[in-house]
Amino acid sequence: MRLPKFEYFAPKDLKEAVSILRNEPSAKILAGGTDLLVNMKHKVECPPAIVNIKGINDLDYIKQDNGAVRIGALTTLKHIYMTSLISEKLPALAEAASAVGSYHHQTMGTLAGNICQQNRCKFFNQSLWWRSSRPTCFKAGGQICHVVNKKEICYSSYCGDVGPALLVLNAKIVVTSSRDSREILLEDLFSGDGKAPLNLNPGEILVEIIIPLEEMDGVSGYTKFANRENIDFPIVGTAFWASMENKEYRVAFTAVDRKPLRAHQAEAFLNGKNLNEEILEEAAELAAKDAKPVKTSVYSTTYKRRLMGLLLKSTVSEAMRRAKS
Amino acid sequence: MKQAIELNINGDTHEILVSPNNTLLEVLRDKLGLMGTKRGCDLGACGACTVLINGDAYLSCIMLAVDAIGKEILTIEGLAEGGDLHPLQRSFVENGGLQCGFCTPGMILTAKAILDEEKHPTEEVIKRKMAGNLCRCTGYKKIFEAVMSVTEQSGKEF
Repeated sequence: MRLPKFEYFAPKDLKEAVSILRNEPSAKILAGGTDLLVNMKHKVECPPAIVNIKGINDLDYIKQDNGAVRIGALTTLKHIYMTSLISEKLPALAEAASAVGSYHHQTMGTLAGNICQQNRCKFFNQSLWWRSSRPTCFKAGGQICHVVNKKEICYSSYCGDVGPALLVLNAKIVVTSSRDSREILLEDLFSGDGKAPLNLNPGEILVEIIIPLEEMDGVSGYTKFANRENIDFPIVGTAFWASMENKEYRVAFTAVDRKPLRAHQAEAFLNGKNLNEEILEEAAELAAKDAKPVKTSVYSTTYKRRLMGLLLKSTVSEAMRRAKS
Repeated sequence: MKQAIELNINGDTHEILVSPNNTLLEVLRDKLGLMGTKRGCDLGACGACTVLINGDAYLSCIMLAVDAIGKEILTIEGLAEGGDLHPLQRSFVENGGLQCGFCTPGMILTAKAILDEEKHPTEEVIKRKMAGNLCRCTGYKKIFEAVMSVTEQSGKEF
């Protein structure tokens, strides 16, 4: 399968990268390539230019300073879960990174690339030939949605693994452009619009992920449920963080909405309570009401909503068990 | 536009004319005739195109050839040294770790990356990390035994 043609840029530093992006606003950023190049082979993304940022030296790091763990955008997923600081103190992130695709994808894929991956849909992530039997959908540049055909929006699902894990860790991100650099909550990166899932302006690069140090005092975990766990995208993924002393809890899900879903209603219900099975079930019901799964995969929405509850219970019990040992 | 690039493959430097949209797999197979690296799904899902880039297992079908400039590329052709099979290759032969052989280069190179990273990984680690390499003959048990038998040989350098 040939890749479509494009102009190729390999900047040596961030300054050069943002200046190329300023001149080429519709260029796509290439890091690990495990998402972008597959979509390009399917001809659902055909950018006129590619900016390969892997040659930029100072974006691959995990460090602890100024009251936070700072992770460079180009840090590979394998590097994340093999770093003891992350696997011991932020297990939700380590588990999410090791849940992504296969070992090869974890070796090639980067943290920021995984966060910024495209939304997915069974009508979108297909070859040009497969898609040619139907009119082109919103996501691929057309005028129709084959999943929810009464609405004029794209319902593709966000299916990334590290997204929800970073959401429960209250992560922030640093976004740089040729004009300025801004720090925003990761939650604000996701637009909830399936066609353009990220609130990034043309020419902006996600350069750093920041996790506040106090998140290391909590217990956390991530569980991915997939057909073939080591290869497939999650049917549903659940991340959990808790401060046992303060009885403060955070819950997030992936693959149940157009963005990774922070379950605020469920969290408000859980906060201050001692966790048990009934309470978790009630929380999961609240989260399932917040979620907007549609049939973007072969799995039914009822199945996804039920999985949310089951996964929440197992993620919590596993995180607690690990914290005790 | 085509450009001349230098790639370090199996210790040799090759000067090749490539387009930016050529994948490393296309260059290895179609321009250099290194057919040991297989084109399976061509979408990064089956692991048949695995090569080692600076010792790490990469999928060459979803990697641009221009992205491999300045990196050490190892394909299955470069694994045996002077006619002596690599311990993993020998083990695959001795344990019958192949049927049609299509997935074998990817399997062996992934196993090498895993064993280089961790000398004696557990069975569970090997199974999890090799899950991205598919074998359509479903000969997984023998493949797994072949890798395990190498990990059990103590003091071996890979």
